[in-house]
Amino acid sequence: MFEAFSLPFFQKGLIEILILAIPAGLIGSWVVLRSLAFFSHAIGTASFPGLVLADGIGFSPALGAFGAAGFFAGLTALLGRSRRASNDSVTALVLVGCLAFGVILASDVFGSTASVDTLLFGSLLSIGTSDILLAAAAAVLAVATTVLLGHRWLARGFDETAASRVGAGAAWLDAVLLLTVAVTVTASLNAVGALLVTVLIVVPAATVRLFAQRITTQLVASVLLVAVLGSFGLWLSYQTDAPPGATIAVVSGITFGLALGVRSLGRRGGRIAAATALVLGAGVIAGCGGSGSNGDQLKVVATTTQVGDFVEQIGGDRVEVTTILQPNTDPHDYEPRPSDVKAVADADLVFRSGGHLDEWANDIVADSGSGAEVVDLSSGLPVQLEGEEEHEHAHEEEAAHSSESEAGHSHEGEAKPAEEEGHEHGDEVDPHWWHDPVNVIAATKEIDTALSEASPDNASYFSERTASFDKEARELDRQIAACVKQVPASERKIVTDHDAFGYFTNRYEIESVGTVIPALTTQAEPSAGDLADLEQTIKEENVKAIFPESSVSPALAEAVAEDTGASTSYTLYADTLGPEGSNGETWMSMMKANTDSLMLGMTGGQTDCFGTVG
Amino acid sequence: MIEWITDPLAFGATTRALIEIAILGTVGGAVGCWVVLYRVSYSAESLAHGLFPGLVGAALLGLPLLLGGAAGIVLAAALIALVSRFATDTDTAIAVVITSLFGLGVLMALSPASPPGISELLFGDLLGTSQQDILVSAAVTIPVLAALWILHSRLLAIGFDENSGSAIGISPGLMTGLVLGLVAVTILVGVQALGNLLVAAILVGPAAAARLLTDRFRSMMILSVSFALLAGVAGIYLSFHARIAAGAAVVGCLVTIYLLAAVTSALRERSPMRTRTSS
Amino acid sequence: MSSKPDPRDDTAASQGDAAVLARHTELGYAGQPVLSGLEFEIPTGTRVGVLGPNGGGKTTLFRALLGELTPLGGTLEVNSTTATVAQTDRSRLDYPVSALDVAVMGTLGRLPWWRRPGRRERKRALGALEKVGLADLAGSTFGDLSGGQRQRVLIARALTADAEMLLMDEPFTGLDNKSEARLETLIDELSSSGHTVLIATHEVEQASRWDLVLCLNKTQISFGDPAVALSKPVLEATYGGHIVEIPGQPDLGVLPAHHHHDH
Repeated sequence: MFEAFSLPFFQKGLIEILILAIPAGLIGSWVVLRSLAFFSHAIGTASFPGLVLADGIGFSPALGAFGAAGFFAGLTALLGRSRRASNDSVTALVLVGCLAFGVILASDVFGSTASVDTLLFGSLLSIGTSDILLAAAAAVLAVATTVLLGHRWLARGFDETAASRVGAGAAWLDAVLLLTVAVTVTASLNAVGALLVTVLIVVPAATVRLFAQRITTQLVASVLLVAVLGSFGLWLSYQTDAPPGATIAVVSGITFGLALGVRSLGRRGGRIAAATALVLGAGVIAGCGGSGSNGDQLKVVATTTQVGDFVEQIGGDRVEVTTILQPNTDPHDYEPRPSDVKAVADADLVFRSGGHLDEWANDIVADSGSGAEVVDLSSGLPVQLEGEEEHEHAHEEEAAHSSESEAGHSHEGEAKPAEEEGHEHGDEVDPHWWHDPVNVIAATKEIDTALSEASPDNASYFSERTASFDKEARELDRQIAACVKQVPASERKIVTDHDAFGYFTNRYEIESVGTVIPALTTQAEPSAGDLADLEQTIKEENVKAIFPESSVSPALAEAVAEDTGASTSYTLYADTLGPEGSNGETWMSMMKANTDSLMLGMTGGQTDCFGTVG
Repeated sequence: MIEWITDPLAFGATTRALIEIAILGTVGGAVGCWVVLYRVSYSAESLAHGLFPGLVGAALLGLPLLLGGAAGIVLAAALIALVSRFATDTDTAIAVVITSLFGLGVLMALSPASPPGISELLFGDLLGTSQQDILVSAAVTIPVLAALWILHSRLLAIGFDENSGSAIGISPGLMTGLVLGLVAVTILVGVQALGNLLVAAILVGPAAAARLLTDRFRSMMILSVSFALLAGVAGIYLSFHARIAAGAAVVGCLVTIYLLAAVTSALRERSPMRTRTSS
Repeated sequence: MSSKPDPRDDTAASQGDAAVLARHTELGYAGQPVLSGLEFEIPTGTRVGVLGPNGGGKTTLFRALLGELTPLGGTLEVNSTTATVAQTDRSRLDYPVSALDVAVMGTLGRLPWWRRPGRRERKRALGALEKVGLADLAGSTFGDLSGGQRQRVLIARALTADAEMLLMDEPFTGLDNKSEARLETLIDELSSSGHTVLIATHEVEQASRWDLVLCLNKTQISFGDPAVALSKPVLEATYGGHIVEIPGQPDLGVLPAHHHHDH
C-alpha cells in the first residue's frame, strides 16, 4: 500500500507538493480573504502566450509563463482603474485576450507544439529539479511577503469595499500581493496545470476560511491542508492509477463539501460527514489493487499505439509491452498516469515514435528515475518528409505569389527535400512516418536490434519474427500500391484533417490537395481565408472526399464537405490505432482500413481493396 | 472594395460562421450586460468547464451529449449558487465548484468507454459551424431574449439593490441563479460552435466596453449588441483576408473594441474632472 | 414647515389601526434570541425614532417588520405594507440607472412577473419623485446624485411601491446640514400624508423631535413619547453608559462623536 513512497518519481512529486503547500496555503489565504480567486485562476491560464513564445523562441517556459503572468497582472490593474470597469469583467477580458494572442501565436506564427500542452496540463508525476527549485523560491517569497506585509494586507482587505479601487498610497501593497500570486501560480503550473491551479490555491484556503477566526489560524491551517490534501491525492492517484491533478481536485472538492456540511449542520452534521468520509475512504482503499508482473520477461514501454504494435510483433511472448497512449486518444494532449510513469521507471527499454507526438516521453524517462535506454524510432528512417514549418511557409508564399487556384496546394505529397526552403527549422521532420511501410520495415529492424542487445538469448527469436513481419509488410505494400493504381492518377486527390498522411500519399502517389487544419498538429485553428482557399481547391480539383480522423472532432471537415459536396463518410486512422475489435487494432489492419477508406472516398464508394470498411 | 466585402460570402463555411456569430453575438451582447452588472464574469469564463462531467456522463450512459452537457452546466450553476451562500464570496465558490467538477470530468473520462475527443467539445470551431448549429442557436436565442425582455425590470432592480427583493417579491438568489442560468444556456449553445474562449469573450467583452461608455442601461445594451456584431463580422473578415485563426481574430476585435472604449472613457473621465476643479 | 398635503393620500394606510403591534415579541436567528421583550403599538402615520447601539437589535427588528424573520416568541402584527430605505449601497453607485429608473423599480412588487412596467408605472414614479422634490433630476444618473438626493430617490421608490410604512436605516449618516434639513422635512411630510416612518438613528436629539421613540439594547428599554421615554437612565441603559451630556440639555445626551456605523 505504501510502495509508492519508494519510487523516485513519487518522492519528487511528494517533495514538490509539500514545498508548494507553503506558498499555496499562505497566498491562497490572501486570495480567499481578498477575493482574488478569479484573478489567480486567470493568471494561470493567461500564461499560455508566454509558454508559446518561450517554446517558439527557445527560452525557459517558467520565465515565459511568469512574463505573461506579469503582463496580465499589469494590464488588469491598469484597466481596472476606471470607475465603471468592474474588476471581474476586466480580468475576464484580459484573460481571453491573452488566450487569443496565444492561439494566434501558436496557429499562425510558430505552429503549436506539444510542450505547451504539457505545461498547461502539468503533472506531479513529472517533476524535475528545476520545478522543485521554483516551488522553493515561491515558498520563500510567500513567507517573506506574508511576514513583512501580512498585517497591512489584512488591514486593506478589511477596509476595502467591494467597489472602491486601490487608494493611491497603498497601490504598491496590492501590486506586491498580485505579483506574489503570479509567482505562486507559475510555480503551481508544473504540478497541476493551468486549469487546476485554483485547486491548490483557492480550495484548501476556502475550506479553512469556513472555520478560522484568526488570520494566523487561517494561514497555518491552509498550508497544512494543502500539504495533506496534496499528498493524499497524489498517493490516491497512484493507488487508483488516475492523473494526480484531477484526483487532488476531486479530493479537495469533497473535503470542502464535508466541511460545509459540518459547519452548517453543526455537531450532527459533523458525525454524518465523518461517517461519509470513512465510507468514501474505505471504498477508495478497497478499490485499490496492486499489480504484479513476472520478472523474466524483458520490460518494454512503447509511447504510441503503433509503436506498441511493432514491438509486440517483434517481441512476441518474450517481451512485456506497456503502451502508454490508449487507442483513439489524441497524442497531442496526453497527461501521464501513475502506471505509465511506473512502467517507464521499471522498463528496460523505451521505444518512442519521435518528433513532437511524444516529446513528453523524454521528460517522463528523466523524471521517473528510470535507467531505461530510449530508442527514438524516427531517427534513422529511410524516408523523411519535411515538417510543418516549411509547409506553412510554402503555403503562405504560394498564396502571396501565385494564382488563386494553386493557393490551397500542399506540398506534402510531393516529398520535397527539406533543404529547398532553407529554413531555420529545416531539420524538423513530419512525425507520422509509420504510414509508409518502408519506414515501418526499417523501424522493426531497429526494434529487433535494440531488443536483441537487451536480451541476447532471444536474438534469433526476434530476428525470425522480424523477418516474417517484413515479408508481410512488403506484401501489404505491394497490394496497396497495386490497388491504388486502379484509380487514374488525375483522380487520386484527397483532403485530410491535418497533415498526417504525407508518407502514405507520397508512397502511393496520391495527391494531398490540402488539409483542414493547416499544421501537423491537431491543435491549430484555421483562418477563414485558408478554409476558403481549400474549398475553392476542392471544387476546382474535383476532390471527392475529405477524410476526418478517428481521434479529431469532425466539425471542420464536415463544414467544408457541406459546401463542396465532398464526402466525409470515410474516417482515417491518423495518429493512433483503433481500439481492440475495430478494423484498425493492429498496424496491418489499420493500413488496410485506411487504404479501403481512401479508395472508397476517391472512387465515390465504388472500389476498395481489402473489404475492411463495412 | 466591393469584392473585399463579397468575396468571403462566396464560401459556405465563412457565411455560416458570419450568421452564427451574428446570432450568438446578439444573445451574448445582451446576456453579457447582466454578466457585467451581476459581476459573474468568472462564471461566464469557467462554467463551460462544468460541462465536462456532464458530457462524459452522457457519453458513458449513451444519452445525447447535449442533454448531459445541459445537466452538467445546470448542476454547476446550482452548486455555485448554493456554495456562494456559505463561502465568503462568489469567486471562491466558483473556483471550488468548477475545479471539482472539472477534476471529476477528467477522472470519468479515464473510463475506456468514454468516446475519443470528448474534450474537444469544449473547444468548438467557428468555421466548423454547421447548419444544424445555426438552427439550434437561433432556437435557443428566442427564449433567452424573451426572458431578458420580460424580466428586464426585475433583473435591473435586484442588480441595483439586493435588499429590494422582498419588496418586489423575488429572492435575489433566484435572480442571480437566473442570470447564471441564462449564461449557462448561452455557453451550452455557444461552446459547440464557438469554443469556450470565444463564448467567454463575447459574453464579457462587448458589455464591459459598452459599460465604459454609457450610464444608461438601455444604451448599454444597444451598444453591447452592436459591439458584439461589429467584432464578430470584423473578426471573420480579418480572418479571411489576413489569414488569422478565426476565433482568435474575433476575440482580438472584441479586445480592441474594449481597449478603445477604455481609452475613450479615461479621456472623458479626466476632462470633466479638470473643469470641475478649476471652476 | 410641513406643507399641508391631501388628508388622504392614495398611497397612505387606512387610519385608526395600529401600523405595528408587538406583544411579548422575541426575535432572533437560528433559535438564538437577539432581541426580546418587545411591547409596543405604533399608530399609523407616526414618526418613530429607533435608538440603540450597534448590535442592539435595530436591524433585526427591521428585518422582522419586513417579514424576513418570524418571531421566536410572542406576536408581531404588521398591518402596513412595508419598504426599507437602506443606506445607499456604495458598491452600486456604478449602476447604470437614472433616478427615474430606480423609482420605477418600486412598482414591480404589484406587477405580475411577466409584466414590464409601462407608461402608467413611469408616471407614478415621476409623481413620487415630484413628491420628494426631485422631479427635475429624474433623468440624472443615480450614482451622480448627492447622498441626500440618493436617499430621497430611495424614498420615492418606497412610495411607488405603495409602502404605508417606511423603514429608514440611519438615513442621516454622511449628509450635510442642508440635506439633513430637507430629509427631516420630507419625513414630516410623509408622516402627515399618513405614512408610518421608522428611523434608525444614533442622533438622540433628533429623535426627540419625532412622535415616538423606541430604545433597544438586546431588549426593549423604553417606548413612547420622547418627552417621557427619553430619560438619562434610559439612554444609559440603551447605550451602556457612554453618554455625553449636551450643554444646556442635561436630560438628553448624545453619543461620542465617532460611533461606528457598521452593521
